[in-house]
Amino acid sequence: MAELRKRQPKVCDYYVDEDSFSPGVAFCAGCALELNLRLISRVLGKDIIFVGTPSCSAPVLHGQNTMAWHKHAYYACTMTGVASSATGLSRYYEKAGIDATVVCHTGDGCAQDVGFQTLSGAAERNEKMIYVCYDNEGYMNTGIQQSSATPFGASTSTTPTGRESRGKTTGSKNMPLVMAMHEIPYVATATLSHLEDYAKKLVKAKEAAKHGFAYIHVFAPCVVGWKIPVDSSIQVCRDAVKTNYFPLWEMEDGVYRITQKVRDPKPVGELTSTVGKFKHMRPEETAILQAQVDQRFRVLQALCAGSAAAEAPAAEAAPAGE
Amino acid sequence: MSAAETNAAAGAALPVPAIAAQPQTKVITGNGAAAWAAMLCRPDVVAAYPITPQSEVIEQLAKFHADGVLDCEYVTVEGENSAQNVICGASMAGGRAFTATSSYGLVYMYDAMFNTAGYRAPVVMINVNREPPGIHAVCSGQQDMISVRDTGWVQLIVENDQEIMDTTIMAFRLAEDHDIQLPVIVNYDGYYLSFLAESVEVPSITQVDDYLAPLKAQPPRPQLLPGSNLGCGSHGIGMGYVELRKKHMAAMERVKPKLEEIEAEFTAAFGRAYGGQIEKYRCEDAEIVLVTSGSAVGTAREVVDAKRAEGVKVGLVKIRLYRPWPKEALAAAVKGMKAVGVLDRSICFGWDCGPLYMELRAVTPECGVVPMLSFIDGLANMDITRDHIAGMIDDIQAAADGRPYQQVTWLP
Repeated sequence: MAELRKRQPKVCDYYVDEDSFSPGVAFCAGCALELNLRLISRVLGKDIIFVGTPSCSAPVLHGQNTMAWHKHAYYACTMTGVASSATGLSRYYEKAGIDATVVCHTGDGCAQDVGFQTLSGAAERNEKMIYVCYDNEGYMNTGIQQSSATPFGASTSTTPTGRESRGKTTGSKNMPLVMAMHEIPYVATATLSHLEDYAKKLVKAKEAAKHGFAYIHVFAPCVVGWKIPVDSSIQVCRDAVKTNYFPLWEMEDGVYRITQKVRDPKPVGELTSTVGKFKHMRPEETAILQAQVDQRFRVLQALCAGSAAAEAPAAEAAPAGE
Repeated sequence: MSAAETNAAAGAALPVPAIAAQPQTKVITGNGAAAWAAMLCRPDVVAAYPITPQSEVIEQLAKFHADGVLDCEYVTVEGENSAQNVICGASMAGGRAFTATSSYGLVYMYDAMFNTAGYRAPVVMINVNREPPGIHAVCSGQQDMISVRDTGWVQLIVENDQEIMDTTIMAFRLAEDHDIQLPVIVNYDGYYLSFLAESVEVPSITQVDDYLAPLKAQPPRPQLLPGSNLGCGSHGIGMGYVELRKKHMAAMERVKPKLEEIEAEFTAAFGRAYGGQIEKYRCEDAEIVLVTSGSAVGTAREVVDAKRAEGVKVGLVKIRLYRPWPKEALAAAVKGMKAVGVLDRSICFGWDCGPLYMELRAVTPECGVVPMLSFIDGLANMDITRDHIAGMIDDIQAAADGRPYQQVTWLP
């Protein structure tokens, strides 16, 4: 009976605070970032401090002169200095006995490229913070250039298609897995079509950040850079999950788990055919991308199986010894 | 007051580590003096990355931390750029923060140094002077400090280990002063001072607490706290940018009188004086003058004494404050001299001379047109010897006597 079935929590059940962002913000129409920031704000609550950098989110997060578009404390710094600046804040709060959740919020270019060293360093030191990377697969703010998050085949302003070029020739850096290999307390992937899943992960990240480093990698399409209709960004997120192009998973203390199982994954072409930056791709090129998606998913499955198995014998060993 | 209250009051007082409880005389290196000074100032956060010849500073601080002498957050960062960002963040959050670097490390902080200065974060940094990259020289030289001249930091240059100790303590007082709020670099020559062991008067930590105490009576700095409706690093658009730049520039100018003021207090407390922005040595009746900075000053002082004994009316000016440039004090010091020589341990590309020389030439309208000679010496650990300096003084005297002179001389 329906009324007896356990009610699944809705995203609003994770909200602890009112929306701290201005009703109107300076993002492009259809940009996934607005939803991303509002969700982080409402789930993590008022007592956070955002740390960011010149980027797509900067006009809203950092504002102009004396005005920002929200009520949170924030710290803006160079692209090379996000996780390190956050370390400075976090360490001082620790020294002064101030409870704080320091939330870094950067794009993929900062997290994976120019700010990667400092991110890796902060993760290795297990600094107490949450690092949210919104992955729009390139430098969207500066004019849609390729980053190490740009996937194979994608056309960008620095990997344009032309007589001698078919878009980006190498695949993206598998960043969430790179971060997981730092063996930090918590790593998750999330996207804006699965808000409950994302909200739950934010809550876990906040808890983990009391003791160490938490990293969330968010798939966040860019309507301008990806050449998609302004009303389609959430659908593109959903398609990315349903094709295993962007599987939703988490790693808690070394144990990997897929949080949204996809029963019959669709071919990746169902995603790429709807996204302008992939439209030039021929079937054989899409096949290369498909092979990469499949390979990455197999690795992820193996990690899930392997890390679960590592726990299981220990659990079974106890009764056997009695 | 009950016993419990007494205990509570005592508990609230700052801890006094046994090794720093009394003033003492120690034989320590320049790096050791820097580390001791930083520890005595009780930084909340220390972040640093090792580099020759600075490493001893951060190793000593790590040991103080490990031994419970220094109660701070010690961050072993993965590079100097991060060290700079860590201390800037910690400072904006409200803490006292410190780092130390040199050469390659300093230039690797370049973008972050603009950030720290632009945020008016009053951090203190030691820079142990060493030649920067390009021609790989694990050697002394002041080119590193010259290369960050326009980042908006206050820069001081010191001469010996005692001055490293004293100036580092003064640097915290200067940086955090309500009228200043600027980051400060204390520069000293790598190798010549970093590894030179000298007798150093080390104040007790309570003496240093007392010296820094006036900062607590000043209006509190804004603190970036979670949950506060406050931001740091907004886009400065149009006049927003101009306003902040103008204020930064004005604060930089206030450093000159402030340095004199806090040094006078330092002298009253500890009995040692350094002349504030510049030190004039035997300049009263001098007709010619040599201007220099750093460890070369000690040698120059000896040579000036010797030349004075020969009847040469030579004076010496030591530049302590490099940024802001002490142009008024320098103009007054060299005014009336018949010839001026400047000894640089670095070079100024594009001007074909030494950088301190280039800047001193800019005070010509104030001090009058006289022969000015640039001496470039001491690059890459080439010793600046007594003979070199004696030769420089001879050249300056010759120019003062109206004989032809070479404007720029490379030594040796």
